[in-house]
Amino acid sequence: MSQRTLISPAQLARPRGKIVYWTVFAVVVTGFTLVFLGPLYWMISSGFKDSQEVVQTPPTWVPKSFSPGNYSHAWEVMDLSTLLLNTLYYAFGALAFQLVLDVAAAYSLSRLRPVFGKAILGMMLATLMIPATVLVVPQYLTVLDVPIVQRNLLNSPWAIWLPSVTNAFNIFLLKRFFDSIPQELLDAAAMDGASPMRVLWSVVLPISRPVLGVVSIFAVVGIWKDFLWPMLTLPDPSKQTLNVGIYSLSNGVPVNVLIAALTIASIPTLLLFLVFQRNIMSGLTAGGLKG
Amino acid sequence: MRTARLRRTRRTGAVVVVSALALSALAACGTSSSSDDSGNSGSGSSDPAAPLDPKTKVTITIDCMPPAAKAAELKEWKEDVAAFNKTYPNVTIEGRSTPGQCLEPPRFTAMLKAKSQPDVFYTYFTDLPQVLDNDGAEDITAYVTDKTVPALKDIDPNVLGSLKQDGKLYGLPTSNYTMGLLINRKLFRQAGLDPDNPPRTWEDVRAAAKKIAGLGKGIAGYGDYSAANTGGWHFTAAVYSLGGDVVDSSGKKAAFNDAIGKQVAQNLHAMRWEDDSMGKTQLLKWGDLQKQIATDKLGMFLAAPDDIAYMVQQLGATYENFGMGPIPGGKNTLAGGNNYMIKKGISGDKIKAAIAWLNYKNLTVGKGQFDWARTKADKLPVGVPQPNFWLGESKKQDDAARTANATMPVANFKTFMDNPVAGKAEPPKAQEIYKVLDNVMSGILTDKDADIDKLLSTAESQVNQVLANQ
Amino acid sequence: MSAPSLTPSTTDAPRRTLPRRAGPPPSRDRFTRSLRRNLTAHAFLIGALVCFAVFSWYPMVREFGLAFQKTESGHTRWVGLDNLTTVVNDPAFWQAWRNTALFTVLALVFGFAVPFVAALVINEFRHGQAYLRLLVYLPVMLPPVASVLLFKYLYDPGYGLLNEVLRFLHLPEQQWLQDADLSMLSVVIAATWMNMGGAALIYLAALQNIPGELYEAAELDGAGLLRKIWYVTIPQTRLILSLMLLMQIIATMQVFVEPFLLTGGAGPEGSTTTVVYLIYQYAFNFNNYGAAAALGLLLLVLLAGFSAAYARLSRADDE
Repeated sequence: MSQRTLISPAQLARPRGKIVYWTVFAVVVTGFTLVFLGPLYWMISSGFKDSQEVVQTPPTWVPKSFSPGNYSHAWEVMDLSTLLLNTLYYAFGALAFQLVLDVAAAYSLSRLRPVFGKAILGMMLATLMIPATVLVVPQYLTVLDVPIVQRNLLNSPWAIWLPSVTNAFNIFLLKRFFDSIPQELLDAAAMDGASPMRVLWSVVLPISRPVLGVVSIFAVVGIWKDFLWPMLTLPDPSKQTLNVGIYSLSNGVPVNVLIAALTIASIPTLLLFLVFQRNIMSGLTAGGLKG
Repeated sequence: MRTARLRRTRRTGAVVVVSALALSALAACGTSSSSDDSGNSGSGSSDPAAPLDPKTKVTITIDCMPPAAKAAELKEWKEDVAAFNKTYPNVTIEGRSTPGQCLEPPRFTAMLKAKSQPDVFYTYFTDLPQVLDNDGAEDITAYVTDKTVPALKDIDPNVLGSLKQDGKLYGLPTSNYTMGLLINRKLFRQAGLDPDNPPRTWEDVRAAAKKIAGLGKGIAGYGDYSAANTGGWHFTAAVYSLGGDVVDSSGKKAAFNDAIGKQVAQNLHAMRWEDDSMGKTQLLKWGDLQKQIATDKLGMFLAAPDDIAYMVQQLGATYENFGMGPIPGGKNTLAGGNNYMIKKGISGDKIKAAIAWLNYKNLTVGKGQFDWARTKADKLPVGVPQPNFWLGESKKQDDAARTANATMPVANFKTFMDNPVAGKAEPPKAQEIYKVLDNVMSGILTDKDADIDKLLSTAESQVNQVLANQ
Repeated sequence: MSAPSLTPSTTDAPRRTLPRRAGPPPSRDRFTRSLRRNLTAHAFLIGALVCFAVFSWYPMVREFGLAFQKTESGHTRWVGLDNLTTVVNDPAFWQAWRNTALFTVLALVFGFAVPFVAALVINEFRHGQAYLRLLVYLPVMLPPVASVLLFKYLYDPGYGLLNEVLRFLHLPEQQWLQDADLSMLSVVIAATWMNMGGAALIYLAALQNIPGELYEAAELDGAGLLRKIWYVTIPQTRLILSLMLLMQIIATMQVFVEPFLLTGGAGPEGSTTTVVYLIYQYAFNFNNYGAAAALGLLLLVLLAGFSAAYARLSRADDE
């Protein structure tokens, strides 16, 4: 796929162009490698240093000491599998809720056009402008005693899942995508007597795969990154997320063990990413979000 | 018409599916976290003063069980539960643990608001007003007697006093501390200083810090906090050490913008910038200096003796390496501690079970946390002077047991023990004042050109506002 | 046709001229049909609606209540404007607003521009694009708290890697997070490193959709590199840029973890205390939910004004 970009191929073909191209290329590749892999190298290698070397001034580029024991110690004190499983459980639960409820809502707002639809969408979008931290207090009090049903959601995955549905940005993306689906397609289906549910299921969703991919990634990343909310609503250590677990650990172990723990905690998702990078990348890039 | 009906039912199907999902989501989560009080069998006596009937069947939840990282203490906890269950076979102790600090202020605040604290919950002495504001703790005055807590009369009344409000008792202590100067003996020796004679004045601290920092390799002579409200906490301790105060006796006005406050600030500034003896890394908070001193990168800092157990157990430090002197200045020292409170509204039997457990674990000479022979066997430090809230006969017995099992050379603490400094409680609205004073500390320690007078006068007006906003 | 994009595609232009429904007889009871249509529509909406109502709108209303209440010894009472006065008189109040403004500017410059430039550069390469994309996205996959703690270690002025690099390059060492003038920038750099991957990939996709002929046409007009960027690249990606700007602003307002873990929240001389952190302090360290809510309310009002302005501007832009 050689596509015409900013700089013309003719310009690049010239000898001077070639030199500039390769120089810039070399600089950028080296620069990016250092900037993005450097910290990771530093993390992995520092995890092998002994407690003295890890806080030595000036630091050593290559570990002089070798204590792989840091890693086993970190593994023992950090219940990684529980933390990771908890996080994945919350993330994919939230994803399921968002896919079902937000898609339905966006479809309704885009295609079924209920009365007050515009107002409802406006109120949803308004929540985008409010930092989560601002609402954390009343939201927290709400989770403690959910109105009408009178439930306390503390320490339960519902405290993560249900609020995650209020993702106005995802609804916005979905609605815009649904808006752009040609009306003829839907009219044809409607003429065959298909119910809105059926239209959604067999016409809209199949062509919406790209945007669903983007929305899914946003949903999962949202839970993956969240810190304050799970820290407050999931106080039970056995139910904590990875982020909160690492934070709790950070004060309780020596620096080298902590860094080893950071490395261990990073491995599962890095592996997952390297294995599925093609899908994730294409989900993000090819997926619907075009200028 | 068939198709029309079909269409309608399908549509209703969609309605049902989507709305059911939403509603059932809300309704179906059976997750009320309020602990059920049905666990008690009602066999106990209703008289609060009567000790727990050994046959009582009850489950109590309790936080701050040692985490896996504190392997030795966790093992001891389990042993203690087993021993406790020999007397009270039907009491189930359900412990919860957190790696790091048991008490994370935001989580603690949230927990109180949610009333989701376990039946027995861990707090600092200074938390009492906050707990009572949230109506979170049971008044246990009637339950705590010399029958339920036999050593009651030997507990330091000052310590119990910090758990009382309007004459009512709300908690039982687990430990208490007064701040002193924790030193790294190895670095003292290397720098040619006498580790058995830690500096007693702030001038001596400065001189010693300079020598230790002279060892190079990123070693700091003296360290202090300046973040997460712990900077203000230590600034307060330093002001106390010179006989000053942070809040005046009326409780309405800041009292640190005076000669003493300036002396504290100038001394720190000089150590940081003139002598370069406080290391480059600042914005430290509780836990960071411990890591530094445990890896021989720090000569001394203000600390409570129980930090040593933390460093030995979790940071892999060797305890022979530490010693302690009284707080430099020696006029007053900041005193505090931690304790367990009992959740308001739980059943009488649960309260009794909780008190019986706390009595066994934390308040019995020779048992639980005061079983020094076992502590020694588990390779934890013995001979650290605190926690020590005993008086009279209990103190005699406990001190003897400590000495007999000491793993830390008692001499390392001799100057601390021989020169007791009067304890002084933390100021009112402690956390808010500490936050303001954090800025003074971070200003001094991160800004070479810090204007000390301005930092102090700004902080003074801020603290006055905090105090006015009661 | 390729997958429909987020922009209303040209194909849906004629839809308004089509009859909305070619089905059953129009006359009978229009009311019943519209009622039925609305019932269906709301049935699809109800799930999200309930969640929004319970976890977003209701808390917002509650925020108003809390801002005028005080809880002491388990009793809640109305205190009028007391909480607002408390908050406004807090000496940290103005500093927090200044810091928030500074942070927003820095975060926009870095968080918005850096990934765009990175995408622009990567898009020009005929080799190694996949590798560079992978690198840029890698940090997004780390647990954020792990990244932040790693940066705290990198920034350490003594044993940190960054100062070692500066020493290696014979540049002056910095105090990074501990320098009141540099602390906010350090936080922003860490945040950008962690988060730029997603944005960069989205820009990259947008860039690859720019028709090459546009550049050729610009070249015929004698446009240089910068003019091509200004007159072709930016207009062609305008929609995605404005969308990402909105996202970036939202993200900036939410920022909490990075300063909280890097500088303990307040920072040297309070230089990283943002409004959001101050709210957190009130609520969870000082147990003063009233003051937290009052400050939240002020921020809410400001942002509401801001988003109204944004909506107006973008509408004017569309026309």
